[in-house]
Amino acid sequence: MKVSLFVTCLIDIFQTDVGLDTVELLEKLGCEVDFPEKQTCCGQPAYNSGYVDKAKESMKHMIKVFEHSDYVVTPSGSCGTMFREYPHIFKGDPEWEERAKKLADKTYELTQFIVDVLGVEDVGAKLNGTATYHTSCHMTRLLGVTEAPMKLLSNVEGLEMKPLPHNYNCCGFGGTFSVKMTSISEQMVDEKVQSVEDSGAHILIGADCGCLMNIGGRIDRKEKPIKVMHIASVLNSRS
Amino acid sequence: MAMKIGDKPFKERVSDGIDDKFMRGAVSSAQGRFRSGRLNAAEELGNWEDWRKLGEEIRSHTIENLDYYLELLSENVTKRGGHVFFAETAEEANDYITNVVKQKNGKKVVKSKSMVTEEINMNEALEKAGCEVIESDLGEWILQVDDHDPPSHIVTPALHKNKEQIRDVFRDKLGYDKTEKPEELALFAREKLREEFLQADIGITGCNFAIAESGTISLVTNEGNARMVTTIPKTQITVMGMERIVPTWEEMEVLVSLLTRAAVGQKLTSYITALTGPKQEGEVDGPEEFHLVVVDNGRSKILGTAFQSILHCIRCAACINVCPVYRHVGGHSYGSIYPGPVGAVLSPLLGGYEEYKELPYASTLCAACTEACPVKIPLHEHLLRHRQEIVEKEGKAPVFENLSMKAFSMGTASPAMYNIGSKLAPTALGAFAKDDKISDGPGPLKNWTEIRDFPAPKKDRFRDLYKKRKKERGE
Amino acid sequence: MMAVGQAHNRNSFLDNLAKNLGRERRHHVEKPNWTHQPQWEVLKGASQDDLVEVLKKQCKLIHTDIHETVSSELSTLITHLIKEYGAKTVVTWDDPRFEEFGLNDLDEELSNEQVTVHTWDREGAEENLAFSATADIGITFSDATLAESGTVVLYSDKGKGRAVSLLPAVYLAIIPKSTIVPRMTQVATEIHRKVEKGDMVPSCVNFISGPSNSADIEMNLIVGVHGPVKATYIIVDDK
Repeated sequence: MKVSLFVTCLIDIFQTDVGLDTVELLEKLGCEVDFPEKQTCCGQPAYNSGYVDKAKESMKHMIKVFEHSDYVVTPSGSCGTMFREYPHIFKGDPEWEERAKKLADKTYELTQFIVDVLGVEDVGAKLNGTATYHTSCHMTRLLGVTEAPMKLLSNVEGLEMKPLPHNYNCCGFGGTFSVKMTSISEQMVDEKVQSVEDSGAHILIGADCGCLMNIGGRIDRKEKPIKVMHIASVLNSRS
Repeated sequence: MAMKIGDKPFKERVSDGIDDKFMRGAVSSAQGRFRSGRLNAAEELGNWEDWRKLGEEIRSHTIENLDYYLELLSENVTKRGGHVFFAETAEEANDYITNVVKQKNGKKVVKSKSMVTEEINMNEALEKAGCEVIESDLGEWILQVDDHDPPSHIVTPALHKNKEQIRDVFRDKLGYDKTEKPEELALFAREKLREEFLQADIGITGCNFAIAESGTISLVTNEGNARMVTTIPKTQITVMGMERIVPTWEEMEVLVSLLTRAAVGQKLTSYITALTGPKQEGEVDGPEEFHLVVVDNGRSKILGTAFQSILHCIRCAACINVCPVYRHVGGHSYGSIYPGPVGAVLSPLLGGYEEYKELPYASTLCAACTEACPVKIPLHEHLLRHRQEIVEKEGKAPVFENLSMKAFSMGTASPAMYNIGSKLAPTALGAFAKDDKISDGPGPLKNWTEIRDFPAPKKDRFRDLYKKRKKERGE
Repeated sequence: MMAVGQAHNRNSFLDNLAKNLGRERRHHVEKPNWTHQPQWEVLKGASQDDLVEVLKKQCKLIHTDIHETVSSELSTLITHLIKEYGAKTVVTWDDPRFEEFGLNDLDEELSNEQVTVHTWDREGAEENLAFSATADIGITFSDATLAESGTVVLYSDKGKGRAVSLLPAVYLAIIPKSTIVPRMTQVATEIHRKVEKGDMVPSCVNFISGPSNSADIEMNLIVGVHGPVKATYIIVDDK
């Protein structure tokens, strides 16, 4: 199966390992992965700040970049959600609405793709430890992906999953919210870090780099002994 | 009290809220109870999504045909001997209400809970005209006794106060000498207010749903105060926001079912009271005269715009009860009697961006509000829409942000520019990094690193590594 | 003949709404058939005995005592309850059902117990209110009863004052078994049909579910605020 990777800008620049883990994982599952090099960003930072016209420029670019892909897979629930939103954003645009819809229809978040398209629930991963999973808001509420990551994680050998108390709470990232409304964001991320501690887990797993940078950044600042991992890296672990 | 509460700027209000540890504890535990109540009630029905879709369909149809249903309503109210006044502004509404009260020579007005009367500042108008106005909802009454402390929640207005604070207010203002036990506090209020009810000459209520087909107004309460207000005084005045209407009893029933479940997880509240006109000939209790005041006060400007669905709101506060931002900053931070997500959408529409332009940004767009709304209002999308209006139509965005968004657009719409920008990242930020982390970042990163570390950009981007890997594998 | 009220300022107000909605005023609108109608699924097909069970269960949740009896025992049960509550003053509706259910001698029986019974006086407004305001118990029949929510529905009328179920400390509702329906849907639909036929809606329809209560102080449930502190239902078999 041919899969185009949409790696997202955060992973491209800051979390390169997650990108590599995603490629390896998909290859292990028998996919032929390509990386359209002209890809940039889904446009979410501008879109969510109200700069819709400016965001549309990057959106159009992304539509073109992935126009010939069969499947677009991304290790980010939030960026995947953004692609799925494109038809809504270009509604009524004679040139772009249809093209946006085509992209949206073939876009999948990584775990959603593995479970729903590949039909795989055990990827053969091994990782020793006690972990909890952060259900990111866009992935859960807007993309509607709730079960796939849990199914996959429950089959990781050696990994004990603990429930995250108040898992429905937002971590306080919210893109530019994290820097515009720092004081509120701080309260939210503190609450999340507390929940992670309360879970008793030593590893925090998530499927969105934005949330993980936020929670992880706070964990580091507070010097908590909790390791933060992207789900792609967990599923690609073999030890 | 008008819609606006307090004079402090947004940032100060937020910081006051964050510092108010009691309020935050109270709000957090209340949210927990509201949340489980709502979820249990929804689960019990089994097909909550169908209910929400029905609610959305009803609200959407009604607002789309609002002129028709309001005409029908007023026809039916007048047929039953009631009077209807259509008020475009708060002043018109207050003038009419004050005149009715004066004509009746009213001295004592008892009120049941009504957000719209807060919005139009009706109490003050009546007080200026020499009337005593008494709030009878327990929460509202507590706030009134406490020198008009503003409400912080649209269903439980005194949510920000604890029982010790309430005991002290009662003690200082009314000579209360018992404990802070909620039962004792409530009993005290019952006795005090019972006297007021029996003496009042005018009763003023809000309206949860007016029923167009029969000219009926319905009131949803637990305490029974709305029943008091509409049973004892000789004159009843009901004030409704113009969108608070349904076509028939059948839709009233559905929306009440959604409201009570979404608000507090109750199948029905203790009292749903449906009143049609004044009392009938031969009936002994109930008002002799009935006036319905239909208020626009800026709502009609929302019709026909992308924000129209905010008029579908049935004021259940489910969005407020799930909002993490509300939990941490409390209701007063919103600077409006309408707090939380619904307030962040509605307040700028009714009160203008000048006053409320920060509210749409006080959200992570986590969409918990949208998910909780029983009539499926896309609240987080409305917040986004506000941001768009502020930036693109009003041109009110900060210059720096505007520039960086321009740069963003250039950098992401063109792969060449993205390439240069992303390649420069490690160099630009390298000086600030230590052990792969940035703890004191420059520019916009400063706010980030105030509270958390930021990862240093990797020397090689993923795309560079990917290329390398491909080469190594001889692809 | 009832006096007709006035509508002020109507046309300019409604014209403005139509204008903002981008169209002419609408003077006729056909209400659509709603796509989803889940309200009819609740307790669908339940027998009258099933509904009694649902009602009894719900009463526990709303802090309401519930008793079951037959017509011939009703008077005895009510007398017993009044004594149990230590009540000295009782107000009731002036409603022919009191006689139908063998309660015509209630006041006589109770006067032996030093209990004063006031039947709603169709003439004396002040006297009714004054008595009810300090009465220990108010008694009415239920005009319709909702199993799902534990609700008695009261239609106001000449002998059926609003205050009887509101001002006394205890409210006692007599529920003829035949009045029990699944939920509010059935009652609302019946009223809707009456409106369509041109019948008058009662000036006050009360849906009462248990005693008055409030959660305004720290979200603590307080039973008994402005209305009755206690509610008791009696289901009476009227077949």
